[in-house]
Amino acid sequence: MFDILIRNGKVVDGTGARAFLGDVGITDGRIVAIGPELQQEGRRVVDASGLVIAPGFIDPHTHFDVQLLWDGAAKPALEHGITSIIPGNCSLSLAPLKADDRKTLIGMFQQIEELPPEAFTQAFDWTWEDFAGYRAAIEPALAVNVAPLVGHSVIRLWVMGADAQQRAARPDEIAAMQDLLRECLEAGAVGLSTSFVDVDENARPVPSRFAQFQELDALCAVLGEFGRMLQIVPEFYDTDITIARIDQLAELSLKHRIPTTLSPVFDNRQSPNNVPRTLARIEEQTARGARVWPQMQTRPIDISFSLLRPSLFFARLPGWIKVLRLPVPERMIALRDPATADRLVADVGEDGGERLMGRLVVRGGGEAPDHLVGRTLGEIAAERGEVPARALITLSLENDLSIGFLAANGGHDSTERIGPMLANPLVHIGASDGGAHLTSFSTYGDTGYLFSEFVRKSGALSLELAVRKITSDTAEIWGLKDRGLLKPGFAADVVVFDPQIIARGEERPAFDMPGGGMRYVRDSIGIDTVLVNGEVAWSKGSYSDSATGRVCELT
Amino acid sequence: MKEAVVLAAEVAAGHDGEVDLVLTLSYENGVVGTVILDADTAFEIMQSCGATSSADLVGRAWHDILKGI
Repeated sequence: MFDILIRNGKVVDGTGARAFLGDVGITDGRIVAIGPELQQEGRRVVDASGLVIAPGFIDPHTHFDVQLLWDGAAKPALEHGITSIIPGNCSLSLAPLKADDRKTLIGMFQQIEELPPEAFTQAFDWTWEDFAGYRAAIEPALAVNVAPLVGHSVIRLWVMGADAQQRAARPDEIAAMQDLLRECLEAGAVGLSTSFVDVDENARPVPSRFAQFQELDALCAVLGEFGRMLQIVPEFYDTDITIARIDQLAELSLKHRIPTTLSPVFDNRQSPNNVPRTLARIEEQTARGARVWPQMQTRPIDISFSLLRPSLFFARLPGWIKVLRLPVPERMIALRDPATADRLVADVGEDGGERLMGRLVVRGGGEAPDHLVGRTLGEIAAERGEVPARALITLSLENDLSIGFLAANGGHDSTERIGPMLANPLVHIGASDGGAHLTSFSTYGDTGYLFSEFVRKSGALSLELAVRKITSDTAEIWGLKDRGLLKPGFAADVVVFDPQIIARGEERPAFDMPGGGMRYVRDSIGIDTVLVNGEVAWSKGSYSDSATGRVCELT
Repeated sequence: MKEAVVLAAEVAAGHDGEVDLVLTLSYENGVVGTVILDADTAFEIMQSCGATSSADLVGRAWHDILKGI
């Protein structure tokens, strides 16, 4: 008898092979049988009639390092079908970290992840300094599987102290970093992350950005001893520099026989050659034998702004730029001045801003009154008997300029362009940033969006290919042992979902961070059941108490 | 053409959910490329070269704009 029998589903096994109707039998946390009409019974039976049975999804670019200390499910990632995550990206991890350096790292995490201060002071006890200690701190309560990266910035901080953010490393310091990285890899780190872009809370470059190439080369030599991953954040805003980074990664990959990945890569109509040029170079380097994986997100980029901080949303409107660049007290006086407000409204054109601003959505989570949240500025303006530009000004003044507006699908939003990119075998679907940018936008639901937009709506990917791209491809790229496939002997990470409705929910504010801190989240749609290592972790809208997640074994 | 000039200035969504300014440049040797600026930098260069909007940057010499960065 199986522990769990998932019956009568459309089995999409993660290999990309055509789906078939069948059952999946699970015992002792492992898949033990797959096929049509399995004869054994199950102690627990999940009826998957009309649903897909697939391997659990794997998210390769997250920042759940801190959240995992109080939430082993990395909510709401798990309810979107994600059973394994890779935290520690962008040069930042929570270990190794000396007690004296905690304050420094907290500043960096707050800048990048937008976590409230209480997340570091109330939600957990710092019980570790080394990587093994961090692993021990998270492991007992994990409900998802974790393959943690170790951050280059923290390795530098450990070895160089405050100098890590001031200068290049000496040879003896590089050697010490190599030893430290080796220790982390022996403790289960899946690789090293570094960044050429990120800054701390004081806008200073993070420590990894002070490294010279010799340092990165030396650290990659250690990665080569284990065959582990190097993840980088390239200068993604500049195609030429990104291509130079691809060449650099290719050299490191070939020299040290390691996989490498860069994220993010995204598409905009304003720079349409960016992704094609990037992928062309990836193709050339792959042909040389290098392993360089560009990560691309599925979701469009939403723009958000308030009148509290000047935004380039108004870049074409001289009058608005002039007013919004005033200091806040003077800005409010100017906006309250009827003649100035009239000029601003006139500035947007004869339609009163209907075309430019009418579809802006009032965001929740800030000072916006509840009855306005989620509604378009056009609707609200009509209700108030104002044009949208006037409503933008008056609503902002009524809320001390702290009301946020959202322009959905502002970039990376052309399904026709992005679908084929995601389907490209050289593109690694990822870059969700799960657990980061908490108060700016939701980083959850990218997997649902993959199926709703690129499988169901556009057909750019078949169901089988979409599943493969976020399961076995990811496991293979990162070297996650026995995960990513529905195959006897593999870990029973399984997601059961309705292919007709799987999607991401609407973005909404949630006040579930430590200290009541706010973040934007999206609920899942169409996910029926999620199993992690053979236990039901999520079913029909509810989390279980299971804590069967593990730190992933590596190949 | 004797110097690099701005061919187009368009706003685009940035990775962090803010709006960036994408400048399309035509260089002296005929190459056309893009430069992406964040809001602070874009507003600074607009102010320094007397541009009242992003559209005002079109046609200007890149060399003059760089002085504002």
